[in-house]
Amino acid sequence: MFRVLRVAGNSLLPAYQDGDFVLVSKIPFLFGKIRPGDVIAFRHKAYGTMIKEVQRVARNHDEIYVLGTHEGSVDSRHFGPIARQDVLGKVLWHIKKPVD
Amino acid sequence: MIYKVVETLDRMVGIERARAHCDVPCGIYDPITAQIAALTVVRMVDLMKDLGNQQDLASNNSLARYVAVKEEHAEKAKHEIRVIWGDYIKPNHVEEHPELHGLAHQIMQLGSKCRQTVDRDTAVQLVEAINQFAEIFWKTKGVATKRAKAPYAPALELVYPDL
Repeated sequence: MFRVLRVAGNSLLPAYQDGDFVLVSKIPFLFGKIRPGDVIAFRHKAYGTMIKEVQRVARNHDEIYVLGTHEGSVDSRHFGPIARQDVLGKVLWHIKKPVD
Repeated sequence: MIYKVVETLDRMVGIERARAHCDVPCGIYDPITAQIAALTVVRMVDLMKDLGNQQDLASNNSLARYVAVKEEHAEKAKHEIRVIWGDYIKPNHVEEHPELHGLAHQIMQLGSKCRQTVDRDTAVQLVEAINQFAEIFWKTKGVATKRAKAPYAPALELVYPDL
């Protein structure tokens, strides 16, 4: 139901930085749709577990286009949409790395 | 406070990484190039020692080539590590792996010594130092590593991503 993940990489800068932790869950998607702007974690066959922001959801709700917020992000612009069943959940809690 | 607690938990049990992948156009980084270059240095030292004291023209030609390749690859190993260290490594990586700067400097020193000498132990130390750097590099990417012998001479152990 819930899982804690550590962000590795900087494609979601400035909101999420490398080393941050997030609590994700599928529960929000049991009661509501995946919407643009949601930050989600998902499995990708080549890249493994990833975290990105939802750009748009296909009409059939089976395909989700995800983007990073950094210009160098590897996301749906490179690997296409992800499947709904690969979504691990929505970020519910963002534990930011403290600033030195 | 909460971050410290979760971070401690991460160190104890290893929390799964969610990759916020960002390699285009930042660049594709992989220490394997430096590892192979260091391995080449060891190979060149072995070949030079195999030649022994032969003084014929063909041997002199081979020796000159081995020296040139050793020079080139020792410098290449240094260059590749400098690129990763300078372009990819961020302050948080150094915070998590405080030995990084010292290790990078050690690689520079060993690379130079490999150029100056025909010392196999130094060349092997260069391979191992770059292996350690590779382990840290892959750890920052959340990628597990394994050690395996290179499938070619001099068949030393290299660190590979365990994909």
